[in-house]
Amino acid sequence: MTDIKGQVDALPGTDPRAPLLQINDLHVEFHTRDGVAKAVNGASFWLNPGETLAILGESGCGKSVTAQAIMGILETPPAHITQGEVRYRGVDLLKLPEAQRRKVRANRIAMIFQDALSALNPVYSVGFQLAELFRVHRGMSRGDARKRAVELLDQVRIPGAKSRVHDYPHQFSGGMRQRVMIAMALALDPEVLIADEPTTALDVTVQAQIMGLLAELRRERNMGLVLITHDMGVVADVADRISVMYAGRVVEEAPVYDIYARPGHPYTRALLESIPRLDLKGQQLSVIQGLPPALTDIPAGCAFHPRCRYAKDPCRQDPAPPAYSIAPHRTARCHFFREVLGE
Amino acid sequence: MFRYIVRRLLQMILTFFGATFVVFALMFANQDDPIQALAGEKPVSDNVRAVLTERYHLDESFPVQYWYYMKGLLTGDLGRSMAGRDIGEMLSGAWPVTLKLSALAIVVAALIAITAGVWSAIRRGGFFDNSTLLMTLLLLAVPIVVLAPVAQLVFAMELRWFPATTTARAGLYDLLLPAVVLACSVMATQLRVTRTSVVENLRADYVRTARAKGLTPRRVTWVHVLRNSLIPVITLIGVDLGMLMSGAIIVEEVFNIPGVGFNLARGIRAEDGPLVVGFVSVLVVVFLVVNLVVDLLYAALDPRIRYE
Repeated sequence: MTDIKGQVDALPGTDPRAPLLQINDLHVEFHTRDGVAKAVNGASFWLNPGETLAILGESGCGKSVTAQAIMGILETPPAHITQGEVRYRGVDLLKLPEAQRRKVRANRIAMIFQDALSALNPVYSVGFQLAELFRVHRGMSRGDARKRAVELLDQVRIPGAKSRVHDYPHQFSGGMRQRVMIAMALALDPEVLIADEPTTALDVTVQAQIMGLLAELRRERNMGLVLITHDMGVVADVADRISVMYAGRVVEEAPVYDIYARPGHPYTRALLESIPRLDLKGQQLSVIQGLPPALTDIPAGCAFHPRCRYAKDPCRQDPAPPAYSIAPHRTARCHFFREVLGE
Repeated sequence: MFRYIVRRLLQMILTFFGATFVVFALMFANQDDPIQALAGEKPVSDNVRAVLTERYHLDESFPVQYWYYMKGLLTGDLGRSMAGRDIGEMLSGAWPVTLKLSALAIVVAALIAITAGVWSAIRRGGFFDNSTLLMTLLLLAVPIVVLAPVAQLVFAMELRWFPATTTARAGLYDLLLPAVVLACSVMATQLRVTRTSVVENLRADYVRTARAKGLTPRRVTWVHVLRNSLIPVITLIGVDLGMLMSGAIIVEEVFNIPGVGFNLARGIRAEDGPLVVGFVSVLVVVFLVVNLVVDLLYAALDPRIRYE
């Protein structure tokens, strides 16, 4: 059994005081036939141990691509990381050779995906897919690895783990399947868990159970959790901080309470207003006018300006608004954040 | 599962009778004067003609002939060829070498097709992918009637790497050249299907998960992607068995391998009805059984497939 964690710690540049995970000015482009799609345009955020950061945004805003860039599982080509850093405990993962990068995956930073049915391999039993991690990364024997797989299924509260370990993904219900995914991600005790829309494919009661389980496991293990979602309702209960993404950029970052109380960016504000609320029953639900920009043709200046009711001339011109510090631990990329906050 | 197999076996019986009936009818329609064909240029005496006509019921109507034939078949008696040899014995003499030849051809074809198919899928658009595309087009364009004698000429006669002809006791190496020729007839499609299937599966979500698990690209491809990609390929291999059988008739003839195809070719030329029908009946059974096995293999490859 090799000490993989030790090897990662021994990497030059590991800084115990650095944040657990820090993304700086990340740019990802997709080279397609229709031109260059700029999926991520300078995303930046950080994460501390035991903390839950929610990344919020509409589909196509670059949240999943950011997650996959952190994991290093983007398909290249067509995807290219053109700029930026992904620092894990101070070490820039983008500069690591692939063999070392591979040891970071699942061991240090793990990920769960939206649709567990397609994300699990249909032709292998869940026991095989869990045990594989221990056999490949820990050099365990088949039998020992199988025992650990049962323990894991137990930990994610799957009833009858001992017999269910032999079952195939299609034999599980949606919620149970997502638990299997979570078990797989937690197998090697990672310090960072990235959950990409973990409950989108589930019905509401099961959603709550899965979110509860994630929050519980995060507490038990003092993990950093990056929760990617488009659902503001999901975020409110579990997240500590929120990064709102639009057109591949983090437009607002704030502690969860502050952002719900007083959004600092027009986009965040519009998102909050589009949540159906009981006290506004009978009134027309407000929607955000227009569509998110095509990633091949992102507007100059602030990417949100064509849909923004606060937009004025400076918004339409490059450079894009900088990350204004609008309060302690809060930033917003809006020239007129005072107006947005003040209303 | 059990019920499924029983149902399939019952279907097989129907198919078997249908197929033998068609073959029997074809041979019957094709027959001109089988007794003269047997004797060749020599004249046949009336006495001999009468005896042979009696033995093979040649003066009876088609249904009666078929009835006699079926009666023999169901009691395990395949009858005698026009030359007077016991067909059951001929078959048991011819099968081993054909079995060896076709098994070798299947293995050669599948090994090359799957390995090269996966490789070109991983490096699609690259040099290897484009050259295999060219090779497969070439293989598809050249029929086995051309390929077999050319391979014999080049590799056996000129280069002398392989023997040009073999006997019934041929070893695996003796059969390698004809097996490769036979494999070429099915390899191209198998390769293309493997490639397409792997390309499709490489885009699947579970591949992303496997990569996120920190597995090596090799393990992702050969453990996770391959098994998912094999299902259409296995189907094709089952169907290809028919191709191999017809190919074997030519290959065995060219390389002088005294197997099933070799005997069948002789029988067709000699208008030897009982021989042809007997041999084809057995081929039909083999084809049906192999395809049943292929269907059962799906369930082993893909747990989502269950037979009720």
